[in-house]
Amino acid sequence: MTSATAGLAEGAADSTSNAMSHAIPTSDRPPTSTATQWWVLTIRVITPTLRNGEVLTQIATSIMFTVGYYIPLKNIMGAFVVGMSYGQYLMPLIALQAVAFAAVSAAFRSATDSVEGINKRFKAMAIGSLTPLASRMSASTYRCVIALATALVCGYVIGFRFYGGWLHTVGFCALMLLVGVALSLLGDLIGVSNENPEATVPVMLVPQLFFGLLSVGMQPVERFPEWIQPFVRNQPVSQFVYALRALAGDSADVPGTVTWANVGPALAWIVGLIAVTLVLHARASTRRN
Amino acid sequence: MAAVTPIHDARLHADVIPPDPWSDAGQSGRHRLRRHWENSPRRFFAHTWVMTARVLRRWIRDTATLVESLVMPVVLLVTLDIVLGDNIKAVTGDSALYGSVPLMAMVGAMTGAMVTGISLMRERTDGVLARFWVLPVHRAAGLLSRIAADAVRITLTTLVVMGVGMGLGFRFQQGVGPAVLWVLIPTILGLAFTGAVIALSLYAASTVMVELSEGIWAVLMFFSTGFVPLAQYPEWIRPVVEHQPVSCAIEAMRGLSIGGPVMRPFLEMLGWSAGILLLCALPLAIGFRRASKRG
Repeated sequence: MTSATAGLAEGAADSTSNAMSHAIPTSDRPPTSTATQWWVLTIRVITPTLRNGEVLTQIATSIMFTVGYYIPLKNIMGAFVVGMSYGQYLMPLIALQAVAFAAVSAAFRSATDSVEGINKRFKAMAIGSLTPLASRMSASTYRCVIALATALVCGYVIGFRFYGGWLHTVGFCALMLLVGVALSLLGDLIGVSNENPEATVPVMLVPQLFFGLLSVGMQPVERFPEWIQPFVRNQPVSQFVYALRALAGDSADVPGTVTWANVGPALAWIVGLIAVTLVLHARASTRRN
Repeated sequence: MAAVTPIHDARLHADVIPPDPWSDAGQSGRHRLRRHWENSPRRFFAHTWVMTARVLRRWIRDTATLVESLVMPVVLLVTLDIVLGDNIKAVTGDSALYGSVPLMAMVGAMTGAMVTGISLMRERTDGVLARFWVLPVHRAAGLLSRIAADAVRITLTTLVVMGVGMGLGFRFQQGVGPAVLWVLIPTILGLAFTGAVIALSLYAASTVMVELSEGIWAVLMFFSTGFVPLAQYPEWIRPVVEHQPVSCAIEAMRGLSIGGPVMRPFLEMLGWSAGILLLCALPLAIGFRRASKRG
């Protein structure tokens, strides 16, 4: 190629790039910050829930857990609960089950995304590796907030009250949402790993009901057979219930004492669960690259 | 060079050549090809059997269905026995298993139906339903094969739950005949629930379908006479608890195992099953046709 044609080619390239830069000025280009990407992907998950009735079903399931546990068990279990109403006693478990159910939806959503190939598409795009996960977690937190708010309203109807100060009330809600995030992370991992939406629901629901029923959320530990009492006392749901009860208080006379002894184990379970799940998430994402 | 092997095909001989399918001048459209018409009653059973076997094979290879159908009711049965067993025995004098074993058989029937719904949604999205629609497969086979496969799944689940229940102390005190009928009751009501879940899955968004069906079975479980005795519910809700479909099935199964009224709850349960299926039949047919034509 002669120097003249080379010069022409360069000129053409320059004019093309100039034309392109004039067509889309740099200042007008949409920002591609991680925060924007996170927001767009979060809205992508949240928007359909407002259209397809998912929010209503989330509210309905929270109500269902309240009436489903409280009405049948009030007479048969309430007699064994001393020092507080059965509504006050049961409320932490109801809220935990409602939030855990929101995490089941997270698992189902991530499995559906995986099987439809959306996650692979994200990996091929200029998106931070943790941004899709962060957006799914934000959407799950939104679901957990709805579940928790509904559960608290239902709890108020059955006689639950916050007897601690406003700080304890905030602590109760924060701990509930932390549990929700931990369970959503776990659900998301299950969904991403098995890429089978059918499998996510039972894999999440069986432990939810098993740990929920075999916890101090329904009846005092002394009411369980002696051989299973150590498990019931120390399993994570029971530890969450102990912490939530301490934050909510028992009655107007006993506002509840929050100590490391009753809140520490719950926080340890949450931190441990989040840490392990994040490590497994990282392994799952590298394995699938 | 190797010799070319002649093809020996009986159809090449003049005496066994099938009649020309186009020779029926008096008939038009698909009826002209009567021998090849996929919607003939003769094809119905063969096609439904093949499709049912396909669904069952998929389930056997799928962990989700096994967990949902077998592990979940068994785990819940053992858990309920630990948590509520002594309390209920103290109140009623009878073992709680005569309520909780039938309840868990019903839960197994209902929760497994949800997996059927989700897998149907996936097949719709993947275009499998549309592919079957353009193949010479009997139109009713696709839908009825799922219901037939569910009948097999529910019966197996009931037998597994019954076996675990017997390990915990559940016994049939009324003989073999009632025991056989006991096993069939969850299948009857379970198929009605399957019909409802499939109908829901053909119209609703996937996450909504999952949450709604889970919510429905949980309500039916918590507000049934298998969870806690009827007398333990507040008076205002007892009529609802007593006459809801799962309670009717449980009471009939209780009567067939330990003794008590059977006919009234059994007929009530049959009425519920027939009502649910009749209510879902038209939406099911229309929804399945629409889902199959999409894509």
